[in-house]
Amino acid sequence: MAEQVLGVKNLTIQYKTDLETVYAVNGISFSLDKGETLGLVGETGAGKTTTALGIMRLLPERTARVSEGEILFEGRDLQKLSEQEMQKVRGGRISMIFQDPMTALNPVLTVGTQIGEALLLHNEENLSQKEIEAKVEETLELVGIPKERKAEYPYQFSGGMRQRVVIAIALICNPELLIADEPTTALDVTIQAQILAMICNLQRKYGTSVIMITHDLGVVAETCDKVAIMYAGEIVEYGKLKDIFEGEKHHPYTVGLFGSIPSLTGDDRRLHPIDGLMPDPTKKPEGCWFAPRCGRCTEKCRTQAPPVWEKDGHQIRCHLYDAEEV
Amino acid sequence: MYKYVIKRLLYMIPVLLGVAFLVFAILSLTPGDPGSIILGITAKPEDIASLNAQFGYDKPFLVRFFSYIGNIIFHFDLGTSYQSRQPVIQDIMARFPNTFMLTVFSMSAASIIGISLGIISAVRQYSVLDQVCVVVALIFASVPGFWLGLMLMLLFSLKLGWLPSYGAGSLKHFVLPTITVCMTSAAGLLRLTRSAMLETIRQEYIRTAKAKGASQSRIIWKHALRNALLPVVTTLGTSFGASLGGAIIAETVFAMPGMGTLITTAIRQKDIPVVMGATLFLAVLFSLIILIVDVLYAFIDPRIKAKYQNGGRSRE
Repeated sequence: MAEQVLGVKNLTIQYKTDLETVYAVNGISFSLDKGETLGLVGETGAGKTTTALGIMRLLPERTARVSEGEILFEGRDLQKLSEQEMQKVRGGRISMIFQDPMTALNPVLTVGTQIGEALLLHNEENLSQKEIEAKVEETLELVGIPKERKAEYPYQFSGGMRQRVVIAIALICNPELLIADEPTTALDVTIQAQILAMICNLQRKYGTSVIMITHDLGVVAETCDKVAIMYAGEIVEYGKLKDIFEGEKHHPYTVGLFGSIPSLTGDDRRLHPIDGLMPDPTKKPEGCWFAPRCGRCTEKCRTQAPPVWEKDGHQIRCHLYDAEEV
Repeated sequence: MYKYVIKRLLYMIPVLLGVAFLVFAILSLTPGDPGSIILGITAKPEDIASLNAQFGYDKPFLVRFFSYIGNIIFHFDLGTSYQSRQPVIQDIMARFPNTFMLTVFSMSAASIIGISLGIISAVRQYSVLDQVCVVVALIFASVPGFWLGLMLMLLFSLKLGWLPSYGAGSLKHFVLPTITVCMTSAAGLLRLTRSAMLETIRQEYIRTAKAKGASQSRIIWKHALRNALLPVVTTLGTSFGASLGGAIIAETVFAMPGMGTLITTAIRQKDIPVVMGATLFLAVLFSLIILIVDVLYAFIDPRIKAKYQNGGRSRE
């Protein structure tokens, strides 16, 4: 068994305001070994980004609350660390690539400064200013930006190039864990492939573990070892890439997700979306979150929270497989 | 960058001509004439007419306007005051240092207090300190300047006898007017800095900086402040310019001989050369301050610098 880098157990996150409580993440658990990639898949609002920010402890302070669960990173519970200890972890041991490269960079600082800052803040090897500069140039070249451009400002870069800068910031300290929050959503398709290939190459080179947050199953198929399908703050199906793509049993939501991918070979003239909308996250249902949209919903689904069916690490949270539970 | 500055300096010419024309027109087209104001209502019409002729006030409006402008351009002459019969430039130079000092004192104090408290307020949003700052700023922003001036005078001059209540002889004379002007500006700056800062620290690049492991103070000083400062610098520049000409209330309340009182008195006396000279003088200063603010922008935000270098054409 490989060394476990991250273990999330029963993580529950709520956003509380005076008016309502949003159940954003509801008791999710997963683990990640060294060098592995986990795909966190789900619709907008499924709680993927909240999970990522929860791991980084970057949730909005006043409203968000991690009410339950633990996040074990290299054997330590991140939630018990002091803010100073957490600052050492952030950017150094765990780093994050944000969704929108257009807004993720500071407009008044040069890209070189912004990349170098990450290293400057986690300068464990006591590098001199000159060595940091050299490393910045090296990292820029690594992500495919000519090193001469380090003195330029973000507005002088295109979206794809900015995302490379964001990736360079995340990678310069060789983190153990990289959280990529929809790194290619804001980019056009030709650039998407390049960026993904780059992340994968770097991951192989440094043995980094990656959490790939996405709603694109194509991205998952290309990059991930494990997949967690999220719906309304729960992981409804979890397993190895093969389980999800080729397994026999699936959560109805997963089936719906795959069904909604337009087919190139078929004769279909229409798209096949999953009917209905995401449930209101402020109203916790008695039964299954997915019940209102599920084609195979039974009376039990509306009243009882579904148990988890498991076989060889492939988990499905659904009543359908109740009887077969071992 | 130099090109941009030169271009902006050239733009000042039409602006100043426009200001001169407008003020000259308003002064000339409103009823009353300098002769009858100086000699009083009991004077003989012939005397008034001859005095007006002496000032050249009998000539048509446009003739007077162009000869006035011509004198400025070709002889650097702002004319002679109808009242004091002294060159206007002397009147201005006698008053301007007072106004300038008042402005510099009050604006430096206002920016130090306003900006620093604004930042603290934003960083510690919802804290007791923040709430106190917001309420106090609201009070000072709403209180009229003359009332504040009178209250200060009542307390520090009349009751305690610490500070003089009028005049401009020593530094002591500047304390109360400075506080009067400063508090209103500081309150405005505090509110502006606070809201600009609050908006900035919610930006995604601040989250990126946090994700890098930057500490709170590093985020504020290195990442947020420069971005939040842009609107603050604009307001600071305009209120600096406005205060040069517009500390009228503080100058009036504290009977301080400054530009504000010079202009108001001259307007009442229909002393056209003084009003024109002082207005143009302030217009030049104001334009220069706005230019300095715009140049400062370039140092704060590289995008604006690039725009200037492109001769005003934006790349984005």
